[in-house]
Parts: sequence; C-alpha cells; structure tokens
Amino acid sequence: MLIWFLPLFLIFLLVGLPVFFGLLAAPGILLFLNGQEKDITLLYRNVYNGMDSFPLMAIPFFMLAGELMNKGGITIRLVEFAQALMGHLRGGLAHVNVLSSMLFAGLSGSAVADTSALGSMLIPAMEKQGYSRKFAAAITAASSVIGPIIPPSGIMIIYAYVMGESVAALFLAGIVPGIMVGLGLMLMVKFMADKYDFPVASRKYTWPERGQASLKAFFPLMTPVIILGGILVGVFTPTEAAAVAVAYALIIGFFVLRTLTLKDIPDILTRAGLTSSVVMLLVGAAMAFKTVVSLSHAPEQLAQFILSLSENPLILLFLINILLFVVGMFLDAGPAIIILGPILGPIFISLGVDPIHFAIIMSVNLTVGLATPPMGLVLFVASAVSGERVEAIARAILPFLAVEVVVIFLITYIPAISMTIPRLTGFAN
Amino acid sequence: MNILLTLVSPLSLVNETLLRVGRAIGAVAIALMVLAILVQVFFRYILNNALPWPDEAARFCMMWMTGLMAPTAFRRGGFVAIDMLLYSLPRTIAGVINLILLSLSFIVLVVAVQIGWGEVTGFGGRFTTASLYVPLSFDFTQWLRVPRSWMMASLLVGVILLLSVNIELILRTLVKLFGGEDRLPIIEAASIGGSE
Amino acid sequence: ADYKLRATANSNENDEDYDGLVVFKNYVEAASNGAIEVELFIGTQLCSNGAECLQGVADGTVDIYISTSGGASGIFPYVQVLDLPYLMADDRIAEQVLSGDFTRTMRDMALEDSGDAIRLMTIGNTGGWRNFANTKRRVAEPADMEGLKIRTVVADLPQELVKAMGASPTPIPWPELFTSFQTGVVEGSKNGITDIMGMKFPDAGLQYLTLDGHAYMGALWWMSNETFMEMPEDMRRVVVDGFYALQQATFASPKRKSIQAYEDFVAGGGDLYVPTPEQKEAFKVSAAPVYDWFKANVTRGDVIFEALTTAVAEAEVEVNAARAADLN
Ligand code: NA
Ligand code: NA
Repeated sequence: MLIWFLPLFLIFLLVGLPVFFGLLAAPGILLFLNGQEKDITLLYRNVYNGMDSFPLMAIPFFMLAGELMNKGGITIRLVEFAQALMGHLRGGLAHVNVLSSMLFAGLSGSAVADTSALGSMLIPAMEKQGYSRKFAAAITAASSVIGPIIPPSGIMIIYAYVMGESVAALFLAGIVPGIMVGLGLMLMVKFMADKYDFPVASRKYTWPERGQASLKAFFPLMTPVIILGGILVGVFTPTEAAAVAVAYALIIGFFVLRTLTLKDIPDILTRAGLTSSVVMLLVGAAMAFKTVVSLSHAPEQLAQFILSLSENPLILLFLINILLFVVGMFLDAGPAIIILGPILGPIFISLGVDPIHFAIIMSVNLTVGLATPPMGLVLFVASAVSGERVEAIARAILPFLAVEVVVIFLITYIPAISMTIPRLTGFAN
Repeated sequence: MNILLTLVSPLSLVNETLLRVGRAIGAVAIALMVLAILVQVFFRYILNNALPWPDEAARFCMMWMTGLMAPTAFRRGGFVAIDMLLYSLPRTIAGVINLILLSLSFIVLVVAVQIGWGEVTGFGGRFTTASLYVPLSFDFTQWLRVPRSWMMASLLVGVILLLSVNIELILRTLVKLFGGEDRLPIIEAASIGGSE
Repeated sequence: ADYKLRATANSNENDEDYDGLVVFKNYVEAASNGAIEVELFIGTQLCSNGAECLQGVADGTVDIYISTSGGASGIFPYVQVLDLPYLMADDRIAEQVLSGDFTRTMRDMALEDSGDAIRLMTIGNTGGWRNFANTKRRVAEPADMEGLKIRTVVADLPQELVKAMGASPTPIPWPELFTSFQTGVVEGSKNGITDIMGMKFPDAGLQYLTLDGHAYMGALWWMSNETFMEMPEDMRRVVVDGFYALQQATFASPKRKSIQAYEDFVAGGGDLYVPTPEQKEAFKVSAAPVYDWFKANVTRGDVIFEALTTAVAEAEVEVNAARAADLN
C-alpha cells in the first residue's frame, strides 16, 4: 500500500509541483492513508536532519567561490588563456569554448555557472565570427556539463553524502572522465569545422605570448591545485577545501587582480545563499523521502525486479545507462541522484561494481542529462544567455550529445577510466 | 477581485520586508560559516590544536541560512519543478492547476509548521548542542550550553515564512485568474540555479 | 501480530548491534507466539544519530534504538560515565556490572529526565573495548601520546581524555576518517578493533595499536516507554527476556569477531602492543583528571560516578568469590 507513494510522486512531479513539495506530499499522503500519521513527524524530522550535515556545507562554499571568481574577472582570463592555446585552429572559438569549460570546471562545481559565465562571453563572440547562434549556444551547453564532472562538483558532494562515500575519492575519479568528455567534444568540433569550414579565431600565438596569457591565468588555474592538492596532502577535508577556495577567491579578487570591491560582497553572498538554500531544502526533503522508501521496503522489491531482468552486471549497467539517460531528460541531476542513488547503488554494489565506479557512472550520466531536451537545466540557461529558443539549441546539440553518450559507455564498461587515479592515490581499493 | 488585491498588497509588503531581513541575516550566516571553517583549518593545521566548536557553529549558520533564504527563492519561483505541462496548457487551465498545486504545498506547509512547533518545543529541543556555548553574563563567567532547539527553530521559521509566501502566491494566482495580473506588486525573478 | 516493534541501529549488518537485534527478534517473535513482530531498520534509514533517533523513541516513531554513550549524551549527559577510562578492569567485571542494579539506576535517571518517555532496557557491548591506535608510532606509555592528533567525536569527555594524555583531540566526521588518516589530518583514534578493521583503517596507515582498553564500548538499548508500558505484563516479560538474550549476544559477539580482526591487523603488518601492568597504571594516572572533570562538569555526574564505582567494587568482590570457588 505504502509503495504507491512512488507513482503518486511521479504524477505530482509531471504535473509541475515543485520537487521539494512533491518529495514530502506524496509519502505524507500515503502515510496518512495507511494510518501511519505518527510517521509524518519522521518525514519532517528527516528534512531537518538531512540538511544538518558537515559534508553538505561544501555546496554553499563552492557556490560562493564560483560567484566570487566570476565577479572577480577570472572567467575572462581563462578564456584568454584558452584562446592563446587553441584560437588559431579551424573552429577556434568552438575549441576555446570547450577548453574554457574544462579549465572553469576546476574552479566551479556547477554546469549552470559554467554556462552562464562562459556563455555570456563566448556566444556573442562566436556569433560575431559567423557561427550560428544555436551552434554557439549548443557547444556552450554541451561543454558545460564538464563542470560537475571535473572536481570540484556539487553533484558528487551530494552523491557522497547520500551514499556515505568519500567526497575525495569521487572528486579524483571524475578527473579523467571529465577530460574525456572535453577531448571528445573537441574531436567533434574538429570534424564539424573541417566539414562546414568554421572560421579560425585568431592568428597563432607565439610561445612568449602564450606564456604571458598563462601567467595572467596563473592564479585562477591554481585553484584546483590548491583544492585537490590540499585534500590529497591532508591539509584539509573536502568541506574545508571549499572554504579555503572561498578565501583564495577573495584574496585573488581583492589583492591580486583587484577586480572585487567590498560593495560587491553582500550581493555575492546573497546569490550564493539563495541558490544553496534551495539545494539544501531539496537534499533534506530527499532524505525524508528516502526514509519512506525504506519504510515501504521499495528497494527490496525493486532490486528483485531488476535482478529478474538479468543477473549479468554488464547488461544491467546498460539498462541503467538508458534509465538514467531518460531520467536525466526530465529531472535535474541533484534530485535524481538523491532519489535513485539509494535504490540503485546497493543493487550494483552487491553485483560487484565498485561503489566509486558506480557513483561516476551515475553522476556523469545524470550530468549529461542536464543538456538533454526536453528538461535540461543548462539548455534553459543557454537559451536565457543567448536568446536562442530551447528547441533550436536542443537540435544543434545532438552531435555533441552523441559524443557524450559514447563517453558514458566507455566509462561504464572500462572501470579503469574512473578508478585509476583514486586507486593510485589510495582513495579507493 | 478588489478584495483579493487589498489582501495581496499588504501581505506582499510584509513578505518583502521579512524576506529582505532574512536575506541579510542569511548572507551574514554564510560569511560566518566560511569564517568558522577557516578558523578550524588554521587552528588544526597551523597551531595543531583543533577546536571543538567550528563544525557545529558552521552547521548552525547553515541551517539558519537555509531557513531564512529559501522562502525568497520560493517567492521568486526558484524552486525546481517540471513546468513543461503548465507552459503547454491554456492560461486559465494552467492557472487552475497551479492553484491546486499551491493548495497542496499549502497543506504540506501547514502540517510542517505544526510538527515543527512540536519539535522545537518538545523533547528533541531539550538536547544540548555538543559544543556551543553563549555567555550569560558580561564578564564571561557564566556560560549557557546552547540547546538544540535554537538550531531546530531555523526550519520552523523557514516553513512559517514559506507558508506566508505560499498564501501570497495563492492570492496572486487567483488575481491572475481573474485577469488582474498587471495590478499585482512585482516580484523580482529568480536566477536559475541548483547544485548542478 | 498484535504488537509491531520498529527497531533501529545506525550501524550495519556486520555489527554486533545487528547480531543482538537478530537474537532479540528471533526470541521475542517465537516466545510471544507471533503476537509481537519486530521490524529491523539497520543503518540510517529512519534517523541517523543519537539526538534524532532518541527523539523518535520519545514520540514512538521508533520503538527500539541502540545508542552509544556519545549518542545519548546530548540529553542524558551522565551516560558518558561509561567512557571514563580504566574504571572497569575486564569483560567479566563489566558484564557483571551491566547486568546488575547499575543499569536500573541509569534507567530511572533517564526516565526521570525524559518525562517517562525513554526507557533504558539494557546495556550491552558494541565493539569490545576502546584502544588507542595511531599512524605514527608505538604508544607504550602516556608520554608517547604527546602531540598526536587523535580523532574524537564532538563531545566533552573524550576530548578531555585525549587532552589529559597530552594529545590533541580533533573532531572529524566518521565517514571522513579514512581519508583523514591517509592524509594526516588526524593521526590516531580511539576505537574498538572491529570498527578499525571494518573501516579498513590500517590501509589508511593506522598501524599502531595499543591494547590499553581504556573504555568499555557500552551499547545503550532504549525503548519507547509508552510502547513498552502499553503491553500487557506477559508481553513485557517476553520483551525484557528478549533484551536479556540480546545483551548476552552482544557480550559474546565482539569477542568472537575480534579474533579474526586482530589476526588480520597483525597479518597486515600492524603493530599490536600490550602495555605492562606498570604502563597501564601510568595511563590510569594520566587519565585521573578526567574523573574530577566529570564529577564537576557533567549534570548528575557525581551520582552516576558513585553508582558505577560502587557497582564495580561489588562486582569485583562477587567475581573474585566466584573465581575462588571455581578454582578448587
Ligand atoms: Na568542477
Ligand atoms: Na563551454
């Protein structure tokens, strides 16, 4: 009986109830109908308890760091650096777009921030050079999903929290997959550039000029080194690394680049706080939802169902890829991870898939979902930034999505891609 | 509809004011969180002397940040939802569905406020925090161990503010259904965001 | 079933808490002829720490919950008496003490403080004894602890203890502990061997273990008093006997489990050190300030301290008498 809260939740979601309320209303109603009014208290309590967590604090911190860096003019230095390296290639600005996203990914944990920061700068520039607006918006959206794959990553912080994995291990496991997505996109850009004769962006930079550009980008590019280095060497935990990233962004913004002023700070704090408060409530509600998932014994039943399809992990992983891809079309990665992780994770771990490997499969798959129509968060942001219609971007993005799907399959079937770095550093077995 | 409008305007003003205060406190809270964690890193790594309180103090701030700022996001339409259906339907039908959805969230919030009150004033609130103290006297000789209820109040305040916003949104949707959209006080739009 | 009991433990199915619950469930369901059904929730599905879960016990959303002393100290600070170092000599004494009136004294105090909402059913064991372990060096005497960053939970008493030893208490969340050892954010911890091996801490460098046995890892089994008292007396008897069986199971389980754990620890190159009686005495002397701190700073600490030390003295007499009787 209680298990009916799952379809009810789905209906609420599709009709347009905010996910936060859906996560509470559906189980709440079923508990009530089932005569378990007392357990509704459990629901409220787990919203609170779900939020009250030290590892989650990294989310507001990384958001804040991202806001500070963006306001502090760091984005433009990254783009100039990317241009110095790749601007002379055919399809130069498209390559620059992808490379900037990879560099930006090392500072920010969010694809949305990536799209809006880089898109507002690169989409107009690409248009000026003769790219179509929908192509410019599409490559921006497609490459921005690298943001939460290369560490730091908001999605992986949430996954680690919900599933009790180590944030550091997930961060390290995301490095190679993130780079692969970037390289894959560049290959596709090269292919299209040759075929459609894309423009070059600039003359070839000399090595001294490149040196100059990298010097200007030096301090921003040090951020991932500090974050990952600090975690690896043991100066701090991931949450503390996030706070240090904030301090670092403040220092470069105020004293090195001198692009921040005290006047900017209240607004930056407010923006970071507003975005993270929504994420926090969502995580809390999802943890409450998870409680009722347990009470209803849904995971056991679903596991039985999944195992009845096949007992071959490779086939099941393929099915999961498809399921996640479909889910990603309709739901943002964060909520999807919180809802599906506890249901799917244990099944695959018991089948012998490494927990870290599974975390990466899920995270990358759902992150790519951010750029898939009809409900892709970064498609909307790209549309807002470029003024192009979502439908047009959604069509133009298809070749890039194809590349990303290939990468997802590679990650799924070759564990070494994600597991090698965490294993070498001793963060995974 | 005039009755509705006379209800919306003062409520809108009250919400606007409360939420502005909430945002200000929330912004301070997030700054304090960063500060507390940096102090922790400094004491542990540089001075080799870890402090007991920064972890809990930062979580305290985070809970209040959430409770005080999420209502603003809700008011500005920043709560994640799949609104495909609502956009594809004719205005009136979408408005009616929206009204039903808002009523559903209204019920969720009313129940939440009731439970929240019970939680803060009940047994769970009587637990103490593990490491937070506030001075009771100016010469810092007497200290009070902060009860957990002070922290739990954050979500209660949050759902109360959400409820107040929810009522405003219901009234606004009604006004829109009667065609008075242009006479409503304006709410700033949310920027798109998320953990993604 | 006429009565459904929802029992939760925040550990996992490899833990002795789970062993205890399985025994409890089996006994109670059989002895009640199916009138009582016990539903187990292992992990953090319903609630994830002492404060949250005990809140659930108080309002009946959770019927049975096992907490450590740290988990319950936010509302019943005096339960930390079990964390006081070197008060009980060995398993035999501890089991004698915890089977006796000491547990009833603590039950009365908790009932009083919770407005008759939370009932302490029994105290078992979870993980044997706490020992100091670290990544740096062999600790043979208190001086070796000097300057080590030891992970503790965020609670006064363990922090006071670590400080008394000259080490530096460092609060780190349990899931972050593995990587924190690895990276040197912390250099040691005070845990039982099964937890150390269960979390694979030696892989993170935790290779030096000193069997000082400074604290008995008591497991406090709580039950919603309302749920309990609403049962008729014959059912209550079944539940009480079920907790007795559970207690016995949790006394035994860590002993069995730790054998393999110690073997694995040594096989992995770990340094296992048993302090001499003189060294153990030295540990006890360094820890002494903690007793005074406890009596002075913890609410009703003096009462419970008195209750425990009295119970220990009685237990020593009884155990020694029993031993003497068995020897010849
Ligand atoms: Na990133
Ligand atoms: Na991009």
